Amino acid sequence: MSLDTEDTAVGARENEPLSVISDTRLVPGQWRVHLGLIGSILLMASPLLLAFVMSTQTVPEVYDITNVGIGSDGVANYVEVFTTYGMASYMFNSLVMSIVVTVAKIAVSLLAAVALVFYDFRFKNAIFFLILFTLMFPVPVRIVPLYEMMAALGWTNTLLALTGPYVASATAVFLLRQHFMSIPDSLVESAKVDGVGPLRFLWDVLIPMSRGMISGLSVITFIYAWNQYLWPLIVVSDQNKQVVQVGMKYLQSVGNAGQTDWGLIMAGAVLTLLPPLLALVAFRGPLLETFGLSE
Amino acid sequence: MGVHENTYDSTVGAYLLLLPTLVAIVAFLYYPSLQTLRFSFFQTFLFGQNTRFVGLANFTELLSSQVYLTSVGLTIAFAAIVVVGSLAVGLAVAFLLYEVSDGKAAYLIAAIWPYALPTAVAGTVLLFLAHPSVGIYTHYMEAWFGVELDWFTVGWQGFAVVAVAAIWKQIGYNVIFMLAALNNVPESLNEACRLDGIETWRRLVRVYIPLMSPTLVFLVVINTIYAFFGSFALIDLMTQGGPTNATNLMIYQLYRDAFQFNNLGLASAQSVILFVLVAGLTFVQLRVSDRYAHY
Repeated sequence: MSLDTEDTAVGARENEPLSVISDTRLVPGQWRVHLGLIGSILLMASPLLLAFVMSTQTVPEVYDITNVGIGSDGVANYVEVFTTYGMASYMFNSLVMSIVVTVAKIAVSLLAAVALVFYDFRFKNAIFFLILFTLMFPVPVRIVPLYEMMAALGWTNTLLALTGPYVASATAVFLLRQHFMSIPDSLVESAKVDGVGPLRFLWDVLIPMSRGMISGLSVITFIYAWNQYLWPLIVVSDQNKQVVQVGMKYLQSVGNAGQTDWGLIMAGAVLTLLPPLLALVAFRGPLLETFGLSE
Repeated sequence: MGVHENTYDSTVGAYLLLLPTLVAIVAFLYYPSLQTLRFSFFQTFLFGQNTRFVGLANFTELLSSQVYLTSVGLTIAFAAIVVVGSLAVGLAVAFLLYEVSDGKAAYLIAAIWPYALPTAVAGTVLLFLAHPSVGIYTHYMEAWFGVELDWFTVGWQGFAVVAVAAIWKQIGYNVIFMLAALNNVPESLNEACRLDGIETWRRLVRVYIPLMSPTLVFLVVINTIYAFFGSFALIDLMTQGGPTNATNLMIYQLYRDAFQFNNLGLASAQSVILFVLVAGLTFVQLRVSDRYAHY
């Protein structure tokens, strides 16, 4: 796994888990790999680092373009965007939407996966195909009728309209089905012998056994829901009910005397990034495992 | 098909478990998608108040519209740039992560965090940092390279800035999947490469990339779909399709026709065209994966 082929010391440590590599001595010849990684990581992070720095600056400091020091505004922009510009309600709305989508999607998909794995019934393959085929219909493919439907139901500006279209999930059903199929026969047999009902079996056996997969799916779903933009933009017109992604659009017009308050907007951007970023960092283990990558 | 499928033997029970998923996919996915197809044969006028059956007229109108055909061409060019860009950067970072032997876990999380980056945040941050008059990136580009940049009025520059934002946002996702594929390379093969003294660059091109081909095909399709649909927030926040329609991607044209001009029939026809493109791409992916699956 080393960059330089003449390096033979690496072979021995290759199969050790990452945590036991405790010595800080760099493997010789790897400086180019480290340099490349640090360079690309800095490059990817630099827009956000700059955004963070400028979120602490006053308007004149921001307009002094080459000033990249921590500004004199401190957390004032954060306080202002939260209290005066509706960021608190945008973030709350996003949080509610993302949590509802996550919980509903996982719950509904768990039930479907139980039926697909532990039952034998007519049209099973057809139904599984029908669920998978929904991957072909991203929101833009059905956006006009979907909006008309919400308007006809009187659901616009409600949580139902924000979350409903995201509940069914081909990906979650597919992954949970795969996971359940890999459960050892003996466990399933004992449940059968004990005469445990399907919901009990799900709750007592399957869910505890699938914690990693469920947490991974939850993080993926949470990040996905939090980042939605187009559908909320269309189905929510009441600014107080809007989610934070579209809230970013409202923030763009904040400013005085023709000078956009970019420091304040950057504070909003940093706040918008925080929840999904924290979710990613906190649950990186199960998240990466769900993607087939264990740390 | 399943391994546990005789655990429970109640067809009614199975369908009850599937009911929430089936209701959700029929109500929010199949029904609106079919409605899209139906709408596409109707002309809407009087701001959506009235409709008239026009057969394929919406499609012929689109295919003979210079604006729409330009939008299709732009979208394909945009997708090609975003796919090549995000895959190339993703591959470089994934390969470095694969090669590094110290601090792997820390590097990993520092490199994949853009997976959590909301599109609206990526767009807003770059809108500011690359702003023609107050952006620090633009300032230094102009100072160092002696060029005059104004992507608010020069079409290709606007296109380039949006493409950079799209690539930035997509890197984390690609790194995760590519690293998972790299980790599947058999250890014996690494050993053989090392013994043969094959240099790093050739090892990547000759050994790893062919072995990763199923993942790469999957990522090409996913990234193309992302470029087609996921870039909406970037356009809406950064350029609104401009300057002079240079970033008027198909998804943005659809949004404008549907929700600004209330031309629902024409917008639905555009949804149908997008569906055909997604379905075609997915079909190609499945065929190619079947043929070239190496492991």
